[in-house]
Amino acid sequence: MTPERCYPYATVLPVLVVVALFTVYPLLYSAHLSVHENVLTRPLDHDFVGLQNFREVVTGYYFWRSLWSTAVFAAMAVAAVALYGLGTALLLNQALLGSALLNVVVLLPWAIPTVISGIIWRWIFDGDYGVLNGLLLVTGVVKRYVPWMSQPFTARLCMVVAHVWKQGPLASVFLVAALQVIPPALYDAAHIDGAGRWRAFRFVTLPYLKPTLGLVLIYETIVAIATFDLVYVMTGGGPADATAIIGWYAYTEIFRFLNLGHGAALALILGVMLLGLVMIYLRAFRAEDAT
Amino acid sequence: MIHLTRARRLSVLALALTLLLAGDPPPAHAQGGPVTLNLVSWSYGVEIVRDNVAKFQQRYPGVTVNYSDFSWGTYHDAMVARFVGRTPTDVLYASDHWLQEWAAAGWIIPIDEPFPQVRQYLAEYSPFVREALTYKGRIYGTPYYADTFIFVYNADHLQRAGISAPPSTLEELTRQAEAIKAKGIAEFPIVLGWGQQDPFSIESFTSLVFAQRNGSLFDKDFNPVFKTPGSAADKVVTWAADALGGKKIMSPTSLQAANLDQIRSLQSGAATFGIVPSYTLAVLNDPGQTQLAGKFKIALMPGETRATVGFIRFYAISAQVPRRGKDAMTAAWSFLDYFGGKIDGEYRITKRWSLDKGLGFAQTALFADKEIRAAFGKWADVDMLQKQAQLARAKDGMTPYYGTWDVYSRAELHKAYLGQQKPAETLANMARKWEELKAKEK
Amino acid sequence: MTGRRARRLERAALNVACLGVAFFILAPFVWMLICSVAGEAELTRRPPVFVPTPPTLANYTFIFTGRLPQDPARHGIFVWQTSQEVRLLLPALRNSFIVAVSVMAANVVFGGLAAYTFARLRFHGRRSSYAFILISRLMPAVAVAIPFYAIVQQLDLLDTYRALILVYLAFTFPFTIYFLSVYFRYLPAEVEEAALLDGCSRFQTLLRVVVPCAAPGLVAAAAFAFMTAYNEFLFALLLTQTIAAQTMPVLLAAVATNPAVSHALLAACVTLAIIPPALLGLVLRRYLTRGLAASIAR
Repeated sequence: MTPERCYPYATVLPVLVVVALFTVYPLLYSAHLSVHENVLTRPLDHDFVGLQNFREVVTGYYFWRSLWSTAVFAAMAVAAVALYGLGTALLLNQALLGSALLNVVVLLPWAIPTVISGIIWRWIFDGDYGVLNGLLLVTGVVKRYVPWMSQPFTARLCMVVAHVWKQGPLASVFLVAALQVIPPALYDAAHIDGAGRWRAFRFVTLPYLKPTLGLVLIYETIVAIATFDLVYVMTGGGPADATAIIGWYAYTEIFRFLNLGHGAALALILGVMLLGLVMIYLRAFRAEDAT
Repeated sequence: MIHLTRARRLSVLALALTLLLAGDPPPAHAQGGPVTLNLVSWSYGVEIVRDNVAKFQQRYPGVTVNYSDFSWGTYHDAMVARFVGRTPTDVLYASDHWLQEWAAAGWIIPIDEPFPQVRQYLAEYSPFVREALTYKGRIYGTPYYADTFIFVYNADHLQRAGISAPPSTLEELTRQAEAIKAKGIAEFPIVLGWGQQDPFSIESFTSLVFAQRNGSLFDKDFNPVFKTPGSAADKVVTWAADALGGKKIMSPTSLQAANLDQIRSLQSGAATFGIVPSYTLAVLNDPGQTQLAGKFKIALMPGETRATVGFIRFYAISAQVPRRGKDAMTAAWSFLDYFGGKIDGEYRITKRWSLDKGLGFAQTALFADKEIRAAFGKWADVDMLQKQAQLARAKDGMTPYYGTWDVYSRAELHKAYLGQQKPAETLANMARKWEELKAKEK
Repeated sequence: MTGRRARRLERAALNVACLGVAFFILAPFVWMLICSVAGEAELTRRPPVFVPTPPTLANYTFIFTGRLPQDPARHGIFVWQTSQEVRLLLPALRNSFIVAVSVMAANVVFGGLAAYTFARLRFHGRRSSYAFILISRLMPAVAVAIPFYAIVQQLDLLDTYRALILVYLAFTFPFTIYFLSVYFRYLPAEVEEAALLDGCSRFQTLLRVVVPCAAPGLVAAAAFAFMTAYNEFLFALLLTQTIAAQTMPVLLAAVATNPAVSHALLAACVTLAIIPPALLGLVLRRYLTRGLAASIAR
């Protein structure tokens, strides 16, 4: 082959090899693990057990519990990130002094590792010494310290706040970028037609934002479902497993229950369940590709 | 044109960076002497460990110790990763929670076969220590410290509430806490270290169970007896749920608290009662740390039997050592003997921990040691400590799957405490999980 | 008149909203900074001391020199709670930096080359390999933790930079490829064609014509790759065991989950760890927004 014909393959191959190494092999490996007995405390039993691991995972308590926790967390987190992103984007798109200021700092939390944002927020929400409690007490909003992280509902909320702080900025920046390409003439037209603020937003802004918003929603859903760092540093899954989302469960299955067979079966089930999401994701990319 | 060359230079630089920076530094465990021992511990008294290590190296000039420490709450997971990844690990801290799990997985080795001299120490240990150090008839280490869970109270609070003696049963504890709350002395008089992340939490819970009538979780054949209605566990869980959600005499932070949070609550006078490993009392009564020093007293665990959990943390040898050969084994044993055994006829390191930090010991005879009595006397009623230690039992249900059950149970118990499910449901779930794990063990 | 007043009122309200969001963003940073110059005893008070006077550098001193603070009344239980682990912060930051810069460079070079090929050239397997790379990102990371571990173990790369770099490349390539190929596609193709006609090779064209035009996009992609690698926690936790390769998030998580840690000291660690990415974020902000805007604008 001529160098010119080799060129595409030569440039794509390095990337393809790395990605394939960490995609194809893990899948095969997981498949193998998942149909064998593999508990670290019984190092000699590695019998073929068929679908037993799958059955045990699905009928086990943790699976449904963590699915539920994951769904609750993801729903709250995605909605919050989208609203925060949209609100901030609309603010940033104004010609205001405040917008200019906000513009400088908006991306800052995005640069901060999730682990660190978890550490910071856990310390802020601390039930005994947190600064939030301190501020609320000084301003007289509460009479005594509130143990935010000891109640299932508030513990989830704390995690969502930390998540939004870290994930929101990216959504804002994406949405601002989308807002900036809306032709101003459309607003003028809407104005002439007598449309109010809300109608202009509803019929001009929103349709333009739709593809980007879709992308943000899908991306954020996947990020929220895959959350692990926040749980690790903020709650350790507690209280009462309220924040034990699926990533934490997979970690527990491997590092605390030492059951690799279960871990692998869980991985594959998760993969299949994510297929629905994958389809949506793919379709979004296809739409992109077509333009 | 400037642009073009700059772009090229940048891309060459980028490539060079990738290749250059990706090289790794030499491994951290480079040989410093004939034998290097990698020591791993959880983070506690790190400066004392370092000092002990330095003294050990002076005595054994051929051995170099490479030391790292991890947080207590994530120690188990960190060690699992090390064992599975075969990260150089030779001597390590271990706990009776995980002894059987790690032994069954082949990560730590029994030491009484290669080093039968370890047996000379056994007779000196409390019975619960002997039991907790043994798996399938073999001994797995030498003690770092052995301690008991004790019930502590703020005597000042009791006096102000007009209470003359600490509670001797759970019912009395409830009444006293209600009185203290009613007088406005403490909003939540009881604080426990029941955070889901703290391995102490199951021991603190078990202590309360042991103190009640028929206080056991398992029978001799490892059948769960806690699920029967009216069992000791049933009583404790029901009491805790009521104290937390009903009477509001237990601090809600108990469910996030680790041992240290409990200390802070008691030290600040925010709470009156706690259940802690006994060395914690040394911290509570340390005048350098709190104005309330001296106010904290020990009482026997409230319940009919007054029993409690005695636990052992010990030095173990990892399965990597025999593979490294005879010299490494000898060095590892020297370490275990130096740290957990006698040096020149004396338990020097054990005593140091007791004198400096108030840590308990496996060797019952040390209760008679003058220095220790004097040191402990500064922060506790030593006779009372000894009395509670004599009533201590090893945790029951010690099996390779105890660790798994422990993690599962911590969350189940939380649900009952928070009122999300009935105590009976929690206990039934815990029993079901146990049976499931037991059935697999064959 | 009323219209103007209403507009002024609205501007004021929007400005306040901006300030509110800015406060939400900045407050945690400010609080960490304050904590880092406070003594432990000031933070474990109810309510905490909001302005430590005078600020102390004792926490930073300990991280850099290992010298314990001299004032036990102020730093309280700090002394006996100290874990030496925080002293490893600087080596951990170095590890993070090396890994992140390597990942970033490889993304720009290899990712950029591949993305350009996907954007401009026709070849066998183009569509399927493109789709494959994109889909690969959808595998939930936690789900493949064990196999990743096994691969790295078999390559004998546990506890090395190379392991982390490889894994992060697998994570970052899909986004880089997607982002840059979209970006490249909307650059005018005419200049490139002219260069090709002039006898430049594909590679030369890319280097001399495309790279300068695509600078904002490349910077954005680079920043993304850097941040992903600098942020990643789960695999860093699994694949490294010693400070030889342990990155900053792993170290800080270990310190932070230790209930015995001094919060003032932890805050000092956090502050130090935040500085490099925060600076990068601030400096690259313009490029990032421009790069994103261009890729979205189509």
